[in-house]
Amino acid sequence: MVSCSGPVSEQDRIIFHIDVNSAFLSWEAAYRIKHGETLDLRDIPAVVGGDPSTRHGIVLAKSIPAKKYKIQTGEPLFSAKLKCPNLVVVPPRYSLYIQCSSDMLKILQDYSPIIERFSIDEVFMDFTGMTRHFGPPVEAAYMIKDRIKKELGFTVNIGISCNKLLAKMASELEKPDRVHTIFPDEIPQKMWPLPIGELFMVGRTTAQKLRRKGIFTIGQLAALEPALLRQWFKSYGELIWEFAHGIDNSEVQEYFPMKGLSNSTTISFDVKERDIAHRVLLSLTETLGMRLRKAGKCARLVGVSIKNKYFETCSRQRKFDMATDCTNEIYCKAKELFDELWDGVPIRHLGVRVAELCSNKLLQLSFFDKGTEKYKALDYAVDNIRSKYGWHSIIRSCFLYSPLSPMAGGVPQDDADIEEGGKVWSPFAHD
Amino acid sequence: MKFKCGQKNLSSAISTIQRAISSRITLPILEGFLIEAKENMLRLVGTDLDLITIQTYIPAEIIEEGSAVIPSRVFGDIIRKLPEADITLELQERFQIDIKCQNTFITIQGLDPDEYPEIEQVEGSKPIQIQQDIFKSMIQQSIFAVASDETRPILTGALVEIQNGSISMICLDGYRLALRKEILPEVYDNISMIVPGKALNEISRILTDDETNVTISVGGKHIIFDIGHTKIISRLLEGEFVNYKQIIPQEYKTRVKLDTLLLHQSIERASLMAQELENNLIKLNVQDDRLTITSNSEIGKIYEEIPIVLEGKNIEIAFNARYMLDVLKVTKDQEICLDFTSNVSPCIIRPIEGEAFCYLVLPVRLYG
Repeated sequence: MVSCSGPVSEQDRIIFHIDVNSAFLSWEAAYRIKHGETLDLRDIPAVVGGDPSTRHGIVLAKSIPAKKYKIQTGEPLFSAKLKCPNLVVVPPRYSLYIQCSSDMLKILQDYSPIIERFSIDEVFMDFTGMTRHFGPPVEAAYMIKDRIKKELGFTVNIGISCNKLLAKMASELEKPDRVHTIFPDEIPQKMWPLPIGELFMVGRTTAQKLRRKGIFTIGQLAALEPALLRQWFKSYGELIWEFAHGIDNSEVQEYFPMKGLSNSTTISFDVKERDIAHRVLLSLTETLGMRLRKAGKCARLVGVSIKNKYFETCSRQRKFDMATDCTNEIYCKAKELFDELWDGVPIRHLGVRVAELCSNKLLQLSFFDKGTEKYKALDYAVDNIRSKYGWHSIIRSCFLYSPLSPMAGGVPQDDADIEEGGKVWSPFAHD
Repeated sequence: MKFKCGQKNLSSAISTIQRAISSRITLPILEGFLIEAKENMLRLVGTDLDLITIQTYIPAEIIEEGSAVIPSRVFGDIIRKLPEADITLELQERFQIDIKCQNTFITIQGLDPDEYPEIEQVEGSKPIQIQQDIFKSMIQQSIFAVASDETRPILTGALVEIQNGSISMICLDGYRLALRKEILPEVYDNISMIVPGKALNEISRILTDDETNVTISVGGKHIIFDIGHTKIISRLLEGEFVNYKQIIPQEYKTRVKLDTLLLHQSIERASLMAQELENNLIKLNVQDDRLTITSNSEIGKIYEEIPIVLEGKNIEIAFNARYMLDVLKVTKDQEICLDFTSNVSPCIIRPIEGEAFCYLVLPVRLYG
């Protein structure tokens, strides 16, 4: 069971990290059970995976029984099936995930006003000073965990400590459906024996570099001289040294100022023609532009990235004179960058990105008005139609009878899209 | 080649021709400059082989005629740091260059002058004469409005128009326009050409602040500026410039007369509260006998008041502070006029009398 040996004085911060166990898969399983299915996907080798026919065929989430077959998130479905021939594969359902994530957030809001949505399935919560309302942190965590399980039908791990880093490290300990603490005095016992790759912010490449230098555990990293790490990895080296010692002063932030937006997609076939690539860019920009306008922003910087069929990536970005939120203007700029960048090698994946955001409530007028105001009005009208009648109630005619989605990538459009991925867009296919 | 010349003369000649040498060279030899010793003169040439070529002559005691190509940056740095005394330079075998000045002996590697590109000798016709200080002020008071991006390449140049006894320089980048005009002492044939902004910038740095003349002539696709012993040749931009006269409004609904310095200082302070990402937004409010300037952001807010003489209607309008400051920074007149029509049409900045300059700045439109 969980030991609560941490020194919890009232001044010390108490931070929770709530992590949904096998999120996409749990949510799907809970949804199916709620709708009468008897088989629980969590009890059998099962994965959530994209559609291999549109080349989105990778494992997005796996059940714990699937994990026993050494199936890894991100690996191709094809190889997962080799490892486990009777593997059950279910398609992703993004709107469900958003719903489940928000439902969980709503429950958490009963326990603290300071909540940071770290990702769709991870939440930080500042529990400092809440003890007098909900009891000691560990007891409160059990209460929250059990309430989520009972009301929403999926399990979470909750990590508790005095900062975000240690709370997150704690929730990563044994899964599922558990509460763990890692208070500073527990670091040597609970965190230092872990393999180096388990440390937050240590990715695959860094872990490999460290192993080559003979550092295999977080404890070994912690024992190094910070100066040496700085020499190896610059300021990042000092950061991971601090993390290995459980040092992290960051606040639980409810709101992050938006710095940029991006959208990318893996195309279901290798793109060899320029005009098709342009259309993919347009389709990405449609979604991106809508999100930008919804955020009330204009962007000054546009970037494009290409991954070719050999999985080589390249990107290019440029700052423009004036900020814009017009789909058409962003598209023209993206197209310009793409044309400079592309060497003609068939393309697998395309991305568009905008940054250097400012308010869209002002517009520097120009002698050469390219119809900016008209385009602004057009975008506004199209956005309104789409928000009222659905994303595909109005599409650009160049996507008619085309295998490309008129609005690619980004989060989750309606579920219809996902199931219909790869189909030809025609006005008659959507009544 | 062997010669002797003053350190000061040589140093300033190198600074001049270095202005033509691009930091992004296309051919390695273009990092160097050509030096030619002949008939008691040294001829130095620098070029980027594209936009601009500069050649200058300085007197020297030629001991042995000849020529070489010398790396410009390192040689320039060396000469600048030598004491103010005579320098002896001698070309040795394999283009090695020996430099001697008092107790300093330097050897650097030169290049084969035969590999230096042939500089086309362009001769201009119908030269125009204008005082250096006047021409320099014309450049400095308009060049800031030249387009910095290549969306419309023609706008990276300034339109130079000689018409009915006056010379005008017009720059515009889509968001503002600068027009600077001077009466010429003589009447010349009408001509108009587009000179690259970069070339004009370099020329303004070479021009002196005195009343001696610069001679401007046009030959083929080039414009030539003759200043004493220095000749600057720039390529002209080809194409149609924007019909700028159409952009300048002929009427106004509001005319404000005010003190240039007061406006300049107020906008400068207000811009401290404005943010670059948010278009450096400042708001101007013309109301009866005063102009208020306000700006606010996450940093804080500011309110400024300036006395004015108003003719016409009150108006509220917003601008990018930088565009206003670019104009005010170079305006020497003690008082100026601001003309407005509406808050979505350009503000015109003019002198109280005459038409030496005319600046247009487009406002920022505010929604909601």
